[in-house]
Amino acid sequence: MSETARERADRLERLPLSDIQAGGGGVFRGFGVFISELRLHRELLGLLVRRELKSRYKDSSLGFLWSLIRPLTMLLIYFVAIGQFLGAAREIPDFAIFVFCGLTIWGLYSDIVLGSTSSIIANAGLIKKVYLPREIFPLAATGAAIFNFLIQFGILLVATALAGVFPLTWDLLYVPAGIVVALVYGVAFGLLFSALNVYLRDIQYLVEVGLLIFFWASPVVYAWSFVVKAGDDAALAWVETVYLINPMSLSIMAFQRGVWAAGSQERVTADGITIPPQPWPADMDLRLLVAFGVGLVLLFIAQRVFSRLQGNFAQEI
Amino acid sequence: MAAPKPSIVGPLANPPIVVSVSGVSKRFVIRKDKSIKERLVNFGRSRRHKEDFWALRDIDLEIAAGTTVGLVGANGSGKSTLLKVVGGIIRPTSGTVKRRGRLAALLELGAGFHPDLTGRENVFLNASILGLTRKETEGFFDSIVDFSEVGEFIDTQVKFYSSGMYVRLAFAISVHVNPDLLLVDEVLAVGDEPFQEKCMKKIREFQEEGRTIVLVSHSARQVEEMCDRVIVLSHGSVVFDGGAKEGIEALRNSFGT
Repeated sequence: MSETARERADRLERLPLSDIQAGGGGVFRGFGVFISELRLHRELLGLLVRRELKSRYKDSSLGFLWSLIRPLTMLLIYFVAIGQFLGAAREIPDFAIFVFCGLTIWGLYSDIVLGSTSSIIANAGLIKKVYLPREIFPLAATGAAIFNFLIQFGILLVATALAGVFPLTWDLLYVPAGIVVALVYGVAFGLLFSALNVYLRDIQYLVEVGLLIFFWASPVVYAWSFVVKAGDDAALAWVETVYLINPMSLSIMAFQRGVWAAGSQERVTADGITIPPQPWPADMDLRLLVAFGVGLVLLFIAQRVFSRLQGNFAQEI
Repeated sequence: MAAPKPSIVGPLANPPIVVSVSGVSKRFVIRKDKSIKERLVNFGRSRRHKEDFWALRDIDLEIAAGTTVGLVGANGSGKSTLLKVVGGIIRPTSGTVKRRGRLAALLELGAGFHPDLTGRENVFLNASILGLTRKETEGFFDSIVDFSEVGEFIDTQVKFYSSGMYVRLAFAISVHVNPDLLLVDEVLAVGDEPFQEKCMKKIREFQEEGRTIVLVSHSARQVEEMCDRVIVLSHGSVVFDGGAKEGIEALRNSFGT
C-alpha cells in the first residue's frame, strides 16, 4: 500500500495506547490531567472567549457599549436612591467612587458565576458531538467576564484620576488580592453550578436568587462601617464575624480599600461633620490569605465534582 | 462470543491497534423529573420516574490501523452510543477504551458553528475545537475555503448560509484536521450529489493514506462499498464481526430478532 499509510502505521505504533477516561484517575492525578488539558487547549479557550464577547451584542447597533451601560445605570440608580434619598452618601465620602468600586468587583464575581452556570447548557450542541475538556466552557464564560471587568476597572481608575483622588498608596496592593479572591470563588462556584445545572435545571434560578441575596449581604452599596455600627448598636458581637465569613465581603473590602482612597482618610464635610476612616477589619491581610486558601480547596473540590459529573453530560443535556 | 477475528485487517502487514475497547457497558438512567418540584412531588416514588436500560453490554473489540469499520444495526441497537464512547463523548459505565493517535469526529457537521460569527471566524474556531493550532489552520485556510466552494461568502455570518454551504464548510474543516482516526456518524447522507461524491472521494483518499475510519450508517450499500469490516450490533451487543458482505447479511437477519 501507499508510503504514507506505512509511515502513519509506524508513527502510531510508537504512540502509547492510552486510556481515554483520564479524568477518572486518582484524585490528584485527575486534577493534574485537567491542568495539562487546559494548557493544550489554551488557544481554543481564547477563541471561545472571543466568540462569547463577539456574539453577545453582535447585531445591536451600540454593540459592546451595552455591557457598560448596565453598570453605569446601576451606579446612577444607587447613587441617587441609596446615596442621596436614603442618605448613605452623607456618611460615605466620594460615594460615587465607592459604589462603582463595589459594583465593579461584584460584577466580576456575579458575571463569572452566572455565565458559567449556564455555559454547559448553552454549548449543548458541541458537548454532545465533540470531545473537549468540558471545563473550557465555564472558563470561557470566566474569560468574557474578566474582559468586561477590565474595561470597567479602567473606567473606574480614569474616574478616580479625573476626580483627583487616584489612590497612590500602598493600599493599592489590596486590589489584586481582592480580584484574586473573587476569581477563585467565582470559578469554583461556576464550575460546580455549571455541572449541577445539567442535572437539575433549577440551579440557574437558585443561583440568580442566591446572587441577589449575597449582593445585599456584601458591602457593595453600603459601607462596612454601617455593619460595624449596626452590630455595636445591637450589642451583637457576632454580626461582624458572620458577615466576614462571606469571602466576597472580604474581596470587595480589599478592592475598596485599594481604590477608594477616601475610605481610609478622615474627612470633614461642608457642614462640619467629621467622617472617620473605615474601620477595616483587623488582620485583613491574614483573612484574605485564609479566604484565598479555602477558595483554592473549594476550586479543587469543584473541579473534581465537575469531572465526576461530566461523564454523563452528553446524554443528560 | 469468541475473540472476534476480523477477516480483513487492512492493507498493511501487522498494523498497530488504534482503538481497543474492552468490557464496555453503558447504562442509561433516564429521569423524567428534571425540576426540584417534580422531584419533591414524586419523592419516594422516584423509581417509577426512572428508566433504566443498557445501551451497550460487554463490548470487546479492537480496531487495527488502516481499516474502515462499519457499525450497523437497527435503530436503538447502540451503534451511535458505541461511537460516542470511542470518541470519549460518553463515559462508559464499566470497561475501558484505549486509543492512540489524533481523532476527528464527524458526528454532526457544523456542531461547533456559531451562527453569529462569520465563516472565517468559524473556521478558526471549529478547527481549534477539532485540535488544530492557529498556525496549522492558517496554513490550511485557503485549501479549506477552496474545498468548501463557499468562496466570497467566507466573510459572511454563517446564519445567512444555505444549508448546503454550511455543511460543505464544516466538512471541509473536518477533512483538513489530518486525523489518524475518523469517526463518522450518518453525515455522508447530506449535501447534493456532486458534494456527496466529493465526500466519498475524500474518504477513499483517507483510506489510501492508511487512516482508520469508523462509520455508522444505515445505508447497506454505502457500508458494503466502503468498509472492509462490519460490526453488527443488536440490543447493545455485538452479534456479528467480520467481512462486509457477510455483515450486511447478518444485519438483515438481526432485524428479525
